[in-house]
Amino acid sequence: MNSEAKTGAFLCKCGDKIDSFVDLLALEAIVSNDPNVAHCEIMPYTCLNPGFEQMTSAITKKGINRVVIAGCDSRLMLKKMEDQLEPFNLLKGQISMVNLRGHVAISNDLSPEQRAEKSGKLIKAAAAEMAALEPSIQKMAKIEGPVAIVGGGISSFTAANEFARNNRECLLSIDTDIPDEIIGGLYKKYPGERQHYKQLKKIITQTLNSPCVKLLPHDHLQNLTGITGDYTLTYANTEDESVTEHKAGAIIACMDAELTSPDPGFGYDGKTVISQSDIGDGMLNKEILDNIVFWINDYEAGYPEFAHLSIQSAWSITQSILNRSQRANVSIIFNEQIPIPLSATERALSRNLGVQWIPYDKSIYPTLQEGYLSFCGLNDHVEHEISWDLVILSPQRKVSAKSKRTAKILGLFQEEDNFLSCHHPRVRPDMRGHEGTYLAGSAKYPCSLHEAMNQGRKAGNSILKLFEKSDADELYLPRMVCVVDSEKCVGCGQCQEICDCGGISLVGTAGGGLPRVVDPMTCTGGGTCAAACPYNALTLNNSTTHQRETLVATLSQQLNPDEVIALACAWGGLPAADNAAGRGLTYDSKIHIVGVPCVGQIDPSVLARAFLEGAPGIILVGCLPEECHHSYGVDHAWSRVNFIKKLLTIAGFERKRIALAHADLNKPEEFIRTIENFAKTIASLGSIDKTPTNRSKLESIYSLAKNNSRVRYLLSSGLRRPWEKPFRGDQRHGLSYDQEFSSVLAEEFLQTRVLQLLQTENNPLSLIKLSEELNEDVEQIGNRLWEMVDDGIVSRIHKDSEAFYAII
Amino acid sequence: MIKFNINDTEVEAEPGWTILETARQYGINIPTLCYHEAVKPSGACRLCMVELKDGDWSKLVASCIYPVAENINVYTETKRVQNVRKWIFEMLLANCPASIEIREMAKKYGVVSTRFSIKNPDEDCMLCGLCTRVCEEVVGLSAISIVDRGVHKKIGAPFLRSTETCIACGSCVTICPTGAMRSIIDRVRSKPVMQLTQLNVSA
Repeated sequence: MNSEAKTGAFLCKCGDKIDSFVDLLALEAIVSNDPNVAHCEIMPYTCLNPGFEQMTSAITKKGINRVVIAGCDSRLMLKKMEDQLEPFNLLKGQISMVNLRGHVAISNDLSPEQRAEKSGKLIKAAAAEMAALEPSIQKMAKIEGPVAIVGGGISSFTAANEFARNNRECLLSIDTDIPDEIIGGLYKKYPGERQHYKQLKKIITQTLNSPCVKLLPHDHLQNLTGITGDYTLTYANTEDESVTEHKAGAIIACMDAELTSPDPGFGYDGKTVISQSDIGDGMLNKEILDNIVFWINDYEAGYPEFAHLSIQSAWSITQSILNRSQRANVSIIFNEQIPIPLSATERALSRNLGVQWIPYDKSIYPTLQEGYLSFCGLNDHVEHEISWDLVILSPQRKVSAKSKRTAKILGLFQEEDNFLSCHHPRVRPDMRGHEGTYLAGSAKYPCSLHEAMNQGRKAGNSILKLFEKSDADELYLPRMVCVVDSEKCVGCGQCQEICDCGGISLVGTAGGGLPRVVDPMTCTGGGTCAAACPYNALTLNNSTTHQRETLVATLSQQLNPDEVIALACAWGGLPAADNAAGRGLTYDSKIHIVGVPCVGQIDPSVLARAFLEGAPGIILVGCLPEECHHSYGVDHAWSRVNFIKKLLTIAGFERKRIALAHADLNKPEEFIRTIENFAKTIASLGSIDKTPTNRSKLESIYSLAKNNSRVRYLLSSGLRRPWEKPFRGDQRHGLSYDQEFSSVLAEEFLQTRVLQLLQTENNPLSLIKLSEELNEDVEQIGNRLWEMVDDGIVSRIHKDSEAFYAII
Repeated sequence: MIKFNINDTEVEAEPGWTILETARQYGINIPTLCYHEAVKPSGACRLCMVELKDGDWSKLVASCIYPVAENINVYTETKRVQNVRKWIFEMLLANCPASIEIREMAKKYGVVSTRFSIKNPDEDCMLCGLCTRVCEEVVGLSAISIVDRGVHKKIGAPFLRSTETCIACGSCVTICPTGAMRSIIDRVRSKPVMQLTQLNVSA
């Protein structure tokens, strides 16, 4: 326990919404007696100005440094409490809320005294958690040095231009530094859109001539280390193969998609049947043919989502063609599902230019034949024909191999055969330091040139804002982020593989066995990585496993034999519970709901501890599958629950005592069914008998879950990775893997029990004695002991021709 | 310290408090709908009306946004206040007739029917804006806002489409006083709700 912790508990009457349901005076008596609580007070409204003043005067008078507010839902109210109490040195993590109104007052048919008792249990647990908290120091984030713009996309220039205009240094790695060459090759990536070339050329020249922009021509990103504010980038030069290192404060990735030729099945030959991305200046300056047909074939090629881009470019190219030669006769034929992308003035222009827009029936594929393209008319369902001298097809859009390499170095995330995407965490903005990876250009998602330029500008501006905040000393590191204990970290890399906020990286350059470091500016505080660490080297600041364990332990000790704990995730279970209260629904009073940020951050040791401290059952209520807001936390929770289930079975307890459930915030009735079903199951089982054998078994489970690196490693290596699609065949692992895992658990469980017994006896024991004490098969223990002697964990001593075993 | 009267009882308040806050501190109940402690008051629903009296002169103010002042006389249950409240309930019953929450609350204050014409019998949103305020002030996102103008106002994401900005935290559903957000959020949050037929809870 933290000796400096001084917790104040404030009980809210909430007008009559809590007061008339819960006997607050009785509750005050219960809470005041708790050694963890230094001050307890009842007030009419904790959340209104009068309440705040009452609260803060108690805080200053008594030197309170932790607060438990027993009132209403933390999802809505905690932010206000944190904002108001911040000047009193109560930072995020030092304020805990217990939802009396929603989870105790109106949700059951208990008497006010019984409700006070239930509230007391929850408040005591919260107070214990606060006592176990070791608040982190509020740290400022410093972002200095230049901004590295990598990837070489066209948006690099608009991004760099933003820095040039604001006199901020940036490093620009590009293939060429000749503006005409850059623009000249643009048609291959963004067909058409020549109207932007003039402006773009101005931007490029400005950027290239700016003293703030340091050019790294022909340099490609080879490696990246460090965290936000202090990156080290290694570039390799493609021409002379030299390697240079640069420091940077922030990184923008600007990458363009690669446009490839359409499938030959559409008749592409590069001469008379070409792609939009083949039309460069050379092509346009040649003699222009008479009948030009654009076929927007994206639907037929299987990319309907990009049809709007192709039809836009077709129109843009058409204008370029007709500006050069009025003789050409241009038709654009397109699937009826594609809307015509013209404004009213453009329609008029199109009419004047004599461009024909021909939609065709979506159910019949057009066919390209010698001199004619046949298609099914929309109005008459007759197969029409249009003659052509040149057919222009839509290009195929892909991420180039080079972009993929760069993306991998940057820790960007790419699903198979898909475009690059940055992690889009669905968390509150104040839960993370900044927006994460800054990615611009069509490799992110196909877009027009105009859009790509804007994206670059936007990324530049976001980073400028970050710099401004850092310069003004207003940029604070978020408080709920993971930290690595570099003493304990062995560099197994489990956490880095599991994390999808891109917050975990290597210390130093690539290589095995190197410790990891967390970038606090990108970490979203999901904490499933911390729970996955086999060596307990990773902790989630201000919301540690130790705190959670203390909370669950305190609650478990107070539970009656038929009462259960429900750990509800802040995105699924908890809102469902809050909304159940909002609708006035009631449920079994034996259920004690405890809100957690994500079920993924529940370490298996927390679950094991609950049983050790006497909880008859525990249920985790997370989000719906595939809906987790943090790196598949709910999937990871599944694996951890299953792990505890296996251990319970091995130890001879009912595996039904623990369960994982899914809840949607908008379906409180289903949530209630879930938890009531579980409560019924536990009521039928009763509590685990508190015999010494059971106690020692539960201790072994706890010690195994908490400290055994072998099983913890196995557990975390089996967790779902962010790049993994839903499990194949809905099976998380092959059955054989699972069976193997179970046998390892059985082995390690037995070993833990043997060691525990030897430790408590503190005397060499014979095999027979061990088997009697543990009530296990002699042969099994014998085999295990043999291996333990081999591994040097226990020693064998012979006395009177009998073997005795002792801990080394 | 500011001293004034609520229902002829002297109360004390600090500068910056509102009438509603002071009344609640003294245990005086004033009904509210668009008021929630988590966000700044907006005075939209006018249900928290109280009467300020000074001799023969009197006026009605929304107590959730009216700052306290020295020596004012506030009355929370006068005929005039009750009358206004009834009218507001009647209008609300016409505006969002489908909301069970509103119907129940109106009934508590003796209003069971409305004399106004009901335009849309399925409407349950009263456009108080609590959801948009919680999204902006508490969550920090502004994923939803009031879309359109005048009589066409409704709650939703831009263009009334689902949006990636929404993180599906459900704060708007929890705060909604009429229950209208329950259906609106499913149109706002970007991922479709999965139908669960089987839960991982063994009975």
